[in-house]
Amino acid sequence: MVLNRPGNGSFCSIVTDSSRLNDRQLVSRCLGGDPVAERALYDANVERIYRLMHRMAGDGDLAADFTQDTFIRAFERLEQYRGDSSLATWLHTIAVSVALNGMRKVKRLRGRTESVDGVEGSPSLVVSPTGFTGDLRARLHAAIDSLSEKLRPVFVMHDIEGYTHEEIAGTLSIPVGTSKARLFDARARLRLALAAFAGDHIA
Amino acid sequence: MNDDQLDEILSEAARDYNAPGDVPRDAMWTRIAEARRHRTAAPAARNRVWLWSGAGIAAALLIATGIGIGRRMERSSPIVPRTVASRDTVLRRDSAPSRVSGQTVADRTETASATIREPARDTAGPDRTLAYQLVILQHLAGTEAMITSFRASARSGETDAHVAKWARDLLGTTRLLEASPAAADPVMKRLLDDLELVIVQIVQYTTRGISDPEELDLIEQSIKKRGVITKLRGTLPGQSGLAGIRG
Repeated sequence: MVLNRPGNGSFCSIVTDSSRLNDRQLVSRCLGGDPVAERALYDANVERIYRLMHRMAGDGDLAADFTQDTFIRAFERLEQYRGDSSLATWLHTIAVSVALNGMRKVKRLRGRTESVDGVEGSPSLVVSPTGFTGDLRARLHAAIDSLSEKLRPVFVMHDIEGYTHEEIAGTLSIPVGTSKARLFDARARLRLALAAFAGDHIA
Repeated sequence: MNDDQLDEILSEAARDYNAPGDVPRDAMWTRIAEARRHRTAAPAARNRVWLWSGAGIAAALLIATGIGIGRRMERSSPIVPRTVASRDTVLRRDSAPSRVSGQTVADRTETASATIREPARDTAGPDRTLAYQLVILQHLAGTEAMITSFRASARSGETDAHVAKWARDLLGTTRLLEASPAAADPVMKRLLDDLELVIVQIVQYTTRGISDPEELDLIEQSIKKRGVITKLRGTLPGQSGLAGIRG
């Protein structure tokens, strides 16, 4: 049995009428209890969702938990999928929601607020081929961590995972312009956080 | 260093931000399958579904019974005395020649009967009023519980499918009540209208199943602006809002 399913690449390419039809066929078969279709749906989307979850959580176990939770919820609510967006977008919407909620809980449990100034430890000072040190890298990662819940997903999805603004807008249920504005804002904040530090460390 | 150089550094350094390793595809699938099996088989979850479904069915039955009793009482209310009274009225009016010329007694009886039908309802009996009050109390208590439950779960960033079903059931009941004589009381009608609006928002929010702080804030504002919880709590213990309900 051959299933029409979206590939593992950017889901921008699968937002077409034919792929929507395939999405609906896949969903229809999943709703009918077809285990092959369920696995196909999972296989087609798991890699990108896990990668995004890992980027947002920064921890393999959390990323796996969030990914599992995403698919569990998706299968539970599959009958609510209307086909207005691609199945991948719908899954990513659930995934981002799961990740943000999960991270809120984790932060509450850890009882700490992350901030750029709160970076501790002594990151290595290994100089990378591009000339900046591990210290700067750690500083940048901390700055990304400290971005707000609205800015961080956009920055991670666009600048790190390579999603388009259209994909991000669909996933976060925001206009494309808002996605662009948030990315601009995120970059500005990161530049600001790094400007003085980078000036001192980069020749 | 200018912005472009910084952006270049950002781009380079961000690439290994929380870099994922291999995807534990099969391990995750196994756990997903287990979790789904467990959820399907979990008796607690099943009981909860049955409990809420049962509560919904019970509420619907109670509403239907209340409306049924109301209608039966209305039908069995003293028609003959009303007709007699109307006939008397008509006959009394007959004594005024300019008012009744050209009408048969039956026509006039019907006209008069229709004229006094509404006042006669008021005396249809305390049983019907009590039935409606019970139905409404049950419904308002359930609505308050649902809204409280929804707010608690939504605040923690969760959307519960069971709350969605619960809200849908309550929405149906609210609309039934809005179309019933219970809404004859203007205070109750306002409360039911406010409840309908809030429940519709909750139904839409929970059906989507996705946490959205902005939309949640709108629902919160709606609840607070209309004072829904205050009104519900004010109505339930003292039944002050029910006092004026007529069948």
